[in-house]
Amino acid sequence: MNTRSPLIVAVAALLGVALIVIAIVYWAEPASSLPSFFPGHQAGSPHHHFKHGIASFFVGLAALVFAWFQTGKKNAAA
Amino acid sequence: MIVASLISYAQAIVLGLLQGVSELFPISSLGHSVILPKLLGWNIHQNDPYFLSFLVATHLATAIVLLLFFWRDWVRIVRGMGRSLRDRGIAPDDHDAKLGWLLVVGTIPAGILGLLLEHPLRRIFASPESAAIFLLLNGFLLYGAELLRRRAPETDTDDDARIAKQVGFPQAFGVGAAQALALIPGFSRSGATMGGGLLVGLSNRDAARFAFLLATPIIGAAAILKLPELFGPSGDGVRGQALVGSLCSAVTAYIAVRVLLRFFETNRLTPFALYCGLAGAVCAAVIPFL
Repeated sequence: MNTRSPLIVAVAALLGVALIVIAIVYWAEPASSLPSFFPGHQAGSPHHHFKHGIASFFVGLAALVFAWFQTGKKNAAA
Repeated sequence: MIVASLISYAQAIVLGLLQGVSELFPISSLGHSVILPKLLGWNIHQNDPYFLSFLVATHLATAIVLLLFFWRDWVRIVRGMGRSLRDRGIAPDDHDAKLGWLLVVGTIPAGILGLLLEHPLRRIFASPESAAIFLLLNGFLLYGAELLRRRAPETDTDDDARIAKQVGFPQAFGVGAAQALALIPGFSRSGATMGGGLLVGLSNRDAARFAFLLATPIIGAAAILKLPELFGPSGDGVRGQALVGSLCSAVTAYIAVRVLLRFFETNRLTPFALYCGLAGAVCAAVIPFL
C-alpha cells in the first residue's frame, strides 16, 4: 500500500463511484429493470436485489477509502 | 393457530443458551442449532422462516454483548481510523488505526460472500446429517491450524499492538474470507478466524481477540439486515420466545467471551478440535437412525 501513483488513485476513485452508482441502481430498480449485464437481472421479476446493492456499496466505499489513502504521504503504512 | 407452538419457551431457553456459547466457542453455532433439535426430536428445521427469525434475535444479542464487552477497544479503534482518514494514511505507531482497517479488510470478503452464498449454502447443507459431517471436518480444521501454526516472537505488551504488527492486510483479507466457511452448518466462524490467526503467527489469545473483534460487525450486520423478518409475518408466534432466547444467548455469550479469553492465555484449540471430531463422528453415526 505504499505505491503513490495518480493512475491508481484515479482508477480506485472511478471504481468506487461506479460501484456506489451500481448500488443505487440495485436499490432503486426491480430485477426486471436492471441492465441485462447486471448479476441478478431477471425478466418479469419484481424482486429488488437489496443485498447486491449493499455489497456493491461497501466495496465502492472501500475503493474510495483506498484512493483517499493513496493521496497521502509516502511514509504512512497505508 | 399453528404458529402458537412453533418454538416453546423451554426450547427457546435451550437454543438461546446454546447459541451464546457455540457462536463464540469454535464449535459452530449453526451446526449445533441444526443437530440438537434433531437429537432431541424437536420438529424445528433450520430453513423454516420462523426459526430464522428466532436465530436473528439470538445473533443480535450475541453481537451486542461482543460490542459492549469490547466497547472501549472499539472506541479506540474507531478514533484511530478517524485519525488515519484525516492524515490520509496509517502512522507506523498507530496500532488502533491499523487494527481498525485490518478489521474492515477482513469484514469485506466475509460480508460479500455471506450476502451472495448464504441462501444457496444453507439450502444445500441444512440437514443434520451434513452438519454432523462438517462438524467432524471442523475438528480437523482446528487441529490442522494448531499443527501448522506459525510462532512469532511476542514483542509488545499491548494486545492490539501485537495483532496490528503481526497481521498484514492480505492476511486479514484471507482470515476474513475464511469466515465464509461458517455459512455451512458445522463449520465455525470463530474457529476459522482463530485458526487463520494462528496460521499468520498470532498467539491463541491474540487470535481469539482478533476473531471476536472480527465477528462483531459481521454478526451484527447480518442480524440487523434480517431484523425486519423478526418483525414481519415470519416472526409471528416466535417474538416472545426470541426475546427469551436472546436474553439467554446474551448471558452465555458474555460468559463465553470471558472464559475463552482467559482459557486461551495458556491453552490451545485442541480440546475444541477433539470435541468437534468426536461429536461430529457420533452424530453422523447416530442421526441416520433417528
